[in-house]
Amino acid sequence: MAEKDGKVKVLENRPGWIASINPWVLKIINNPERTAFVLHRITGLLMALIIMAHIYVTGTPARVGWEAWAEEISKAHGITPVTLYFFFFAGIAWYHGLNGIRLLLTEFFGVCIGKPEKPKPPYEAPSLKACQRKLLYLVFLLWGVLWALTGYIVFFK
Amino acid sequence: MTFDPKAATRTPPKKVVFKVKRYNPETGKTWWDEYEIETYRGMTVLDALLKIKEELDHTIVLRYSCRMGVCGSCGMIINGMPRLACQTQIAEVATESNPVVTVEPLKNHPVVRDLLTDFTAFFEKHRSVKPYTIRKNIEERETGDMEYLMTPEEHEMLYEYTLCISCGLCYSACPVAASDKRFLGPQALAYVWRYVADPRDEAWRERLEEVDKDEGPWSCHYAASCSAVCPKMVDPAAAIQRLRSALVKYRMGMYKKRVAKKATRPEGQVKPKKPLPPEAQTLPGVDLEALEREPPVVPVEQLLA
Repeated sequence: MAEKDGKVKVLENRPGWIASINPWVLKIINNPERTAFVLHRITGLLMALIIMAHIYVTGTPARVGWEAWAEEISKAHGITPVTLYFFFFAGIAWYHGLNGIRLLLTEFFGVCIGKPEKPKPPYEAPSLKACQRKLLYLVFLLWGVLWALTGYIVFFK
Repeated sequence: MTFDPKAATRTPPKKVVFKVKRYNPETGKTWWDEYEIETYRGMTVLDALLKIKEELDHTIVLRYSCRMGVCGSCGMIINGMPRLACQTQIAEVATESNPVVTVEPLKNHPVVRDLLTDFTAFFEKHRSVKPYTIRKNIEERETGDMEYLMTPEEHEMLYEYTLCISCGLCYSACPVAASDKRFLGPQALAYVWRYVADPRDEAWRERLEEVDKDEGPWSCHYAASCSAVCPKMVDPAAAIQRLRSALVKYRMGMYKKRVAKKATRPEGQVKPKKPLPPEAQTLPGVDLEALEREPPVVPVEQLLA
């Protein structure tokens, strides 16, 4: 191995935390769990930011008084910045919560991850065809349905 | 990784462009080189790289050995996915509309030069989990003439984990290993579960205690990329979840494991011989038992002379 200035130059080649939020670092086939993982990380980060904003916003009555707060909230109908904020927050929270339940089931209780089996073509790992995969698709489906329902309630009710 | 048995029968594009990521440790520079080669049916990415090395550019550095998916030496990132170059058909990754194959060194492993990665840290982690059977009675183990008993169901529970060839593809695909150097990684953790689940191993408590730390299974977030890229269907993602579930039970005092005892043979009893299957019958006139009783004397000196 070549040396320069007395030091061996070995390339670290580790993508770092970007691999947790960028689904295109690797293009792995048959791996929707990775997409779910990336979405879980992104929604987790966004929720942490939104909760901080939420704490600031809910402190408004202390700063401007309850009347001004109630007046502002009463305007939150139709498509406004406040309802849009609610809508996006609901989407983030629904995904993080639903996927969290799936992860609790698979990670802590070890359910829905299939049973070890002897390899046979097409050599697909048992956990990738176990019911956790169906659970994952159910999470995506429920997420869409619940988010749409929340949008209907926030914008039109 | 799902295996497509028909891939080798398909004809790849006649000419394929290989984009190879290069690294020079002398200058610390990284760049991409392009090579166009003519392909043939059944050509693998490793065949193509060796053809490039022989005919176009002798300076490409890569590691390979068996060429048949057994040694696990030729792991690299092919078209964005960690794969074994010897098992990847060009017809699988290049199409007529896009006859381009990109080849990079495995991620999360330090690159020595071009496609050659350093597995020292990877094998250190493998070694740290003590990947061998531990029995308390060493004398019994060392002087044993009988096997440890295991049911076929118990064997099936750990068999797939024994197929690991330590190719490092799972470690390269892991998004946690990408950001945390200390993380033991899917390969080492799958080995921990393989021995915790093995009824012949008596050190399961010590293994669970040892692995119950941040860099153990708790860092895994079940992206399951390790299982999706494994060329041997080892399923490290499931092994880690089982290990974590076992740890939860162990900490709650609910994890139980049967430890296999050694088979005992009554005094003077000879192990019964299984009859040979029909396809393995000896030639007419050959008496195996007589040959075993009185082995033929082979005139070695005469043969050598």
